[in-house]
Amino acid sequence: MISVNAGNITKGMYLIYKGEPNLVTKADFMSPGKGAAVMRVKYKSLKTGSAIDFTYKTNEQVEVADVDKKEMEFLYRAGSDVVFMNPKTFDQESVPASLIEDKLGYLIGNLRCWVMFYKGGPIGVALPPNVTLKVTESPNEVAGNRINAPKKTVKLETGIEAQVPIFIKTGEKVMIDTGTGEYLGRVK
Amino acid sequence: MKTWQRIKNSPAVLQRYLVREKVIDTIRSFFKEKGFKEVFTPTLVSVPSIEPNLEVFKTQLRTARGVKKDGYLVMSPEFSIKKLLAAGVGNCFEIARCFRNEEEVSRLHNPEFTMLEWYRVNADYTDIMNDFEDLFLKIVGRNKLNYQGESYDLSKPWERISVAEAFSKYAAKDVLKVGDEDFYKIFFNEIEPALAEKKKPFFIYDYPVSQASLSRPKKEDPRFAERFEVFLAGIELGNCFSELTDAKEQKRRFEKDLGERKRAGKTVYPIDAELIAALKSGIPPVSGIAVGVDRLVMLAADAENISQTLFFPANEIFNL
Repeated sequence: MISVNAGNITKGMYLIYKGEPNLVTKADFMSPGKGAAVMRVKYKSLKTGSAIDFTYKTNEQVEVADVDKKEMEFLYRAGSDVVFMNPKTFDQESVPASLIEDKLGYLIGNLRCWVMFYKGGPIGVALPPNVTLKVTESPNEVAGNRINAPKKTVKLETGIEAQVPIFIKTGEKVMIDTGTGEYLGRVK
Repeated sequence: MKTWQRIKNSPAVLQRYLVREKVIDTIRSFFKEKGFKEVFTPTLVSVPSIEPNLEVFKTQLRTARGVKKDGYLVMSPEFSIKKLLAAGVGNCFEIARCFRNEEEVSRLHNPEFTMLEWYRVNADYTDIMNDFEDLFLKIVGRNKLNYQGESYDLSKPWERISVAEAFSKYAAKDVLKVGDEDFYKIFFNEIEPALAEKKKPFFIYDYPVSQASLSRPKKEDPRFAERFEVFLAGIELGNCFSELTDAKEQKRRFEKDLGERKRAGKTVYPIDAELIAALKSGIPPVSGIAVGVDRLVMLAADAENISQTLFFPANEIFNL
C-alpha cells in the first residue's frame, strides 16, 4: 500500500477515502497558531461524482489510490462515449463523456491526453495545458479602441466559442488555455 | 502566462484586482470615522513572534560600519502595536504587510500577505465581534454575499457559539478532554460543516486555555480564554483576543512556546523582552483582532483563490 503524508496532499491526487477512490479537487493547508496543523481536502468521488470535504492532521498517512495513467490520442465521439487510442498499441478505449465534462470542446483529432484508469476502468482524462484550434466563424471587425485591447466572440472548429482579439480572422488558428478557456495567442 | 499579461490580453479581468483597493479604502474610512488612529509599525524587526507552528523569514541587517544584527520580517504587527498601547495611543488599527515562511502556498495562503489588526481599549472581545460585523457589512455593501455560487446571509446578529457548546452539540465531545492535537481535525470535520449549513457567518468563542495564545483567561471560568475566531464559507477570517496584559503570565507562555519549538527541533528565538517590559509598565484593558485582508478581498471579489486577487502572487513570482 502506497500512502502519502496528509501534509503533502495536493490538488489532482487520487486517494482512498472511506475505502473508495477519490480525486482531490482542493487541498488547503491550515496552520493554527496553536494545536496541530491540518490539511483540508475537497474530494470528488470517482464512483458517484459527489463532492465531500475532509480534514486531516498533517502528520496522518493517507492511502494513495492505484491510478494508472496512459498517454492516448483522441479519436472521435460516439454517442455518450469518447474514444481514445493508444498510439503505440493501437488499443482503443471508450471513456464516458460525463468524465470529461466541460473539456469536451478542446478535444480535437489526435490530441494527446492522459487517460486515467482505476482497477481497469477509465475514470478521467487530463488534457494538455493548451490546444490549438481553428476559427470557423468570426464576426466582421467590431469597432473598439486599441488601448483596451477589445475582444470579440468567435466559433472554433470543435463548436465552442472563445474570446479573441479583433484582428483574428476566420481560418486562423488560436491557442486556448484548457484550464480557463482563455485565448493565449495566434498560431501561424 | 503571468497576471500582467493576462490583464493585457483580457482587460475585463482587471476589475477583480481593483477590489483590493476598494476594500482597503473602506477599512480605512470605517476606523477613521470611529476615531481610531492608524499606526505604522516596522516590517523588519529584531525579535520575531514565536508561535510553535509558524515560521518566520529571517534576514540580516548590516550597517556600513560592519555591525551585524539578525532581522526578521514580521508575521504580525501585534508586538509593536502593544508597545504603542502601553505608550497610550488608545484605539488604533494597522494595515500591515506580513510574512510567513514554510507554509504551503495555497488557495488561502500567500507567503506575503496583508493583515488588518485593530485594538479597542477598555473593551472586550464582544465589542470586537460587533466591529467585525459592521466592518464586513460595510465592505460588502449589503446584507447578502454571493460567493462561489452560494448566497450568504450577513444580516445581524451573526451566530455566536462557545467552543464548549459547539463541541458538545455537534461532536458530542467535551472540549476540555480533546487534545490540542485533535482540536482542528474535529472542528473542521464535525463542527464547522454543521455551523456552515446556516449559510451565515459565525463567531466561535472561549477557547480552552491551552489554546489561549495571547488572550486572557475568563474571570468566571479560567479553564477557558477570551478568544474568538470568525468563519464564513469555511474560511477563517479573523482571530481575536481579550488581550493578556499580565507581564508574568505572558513571559510564562512565551517560555512554554519556546519549549514546544525546542522539542519539535525548531529554531528557538529570543523572547521580546521589550514587550514584557511594556506590559509591566502598564497597559489598559484591550481587545484586538487580526484579520486576513486578502481573504476579505477574495470574498468581496468572488475569487476562488487568493492568488486571483494579487497582481503578483508568489506562485508566479517564484514559479511554484
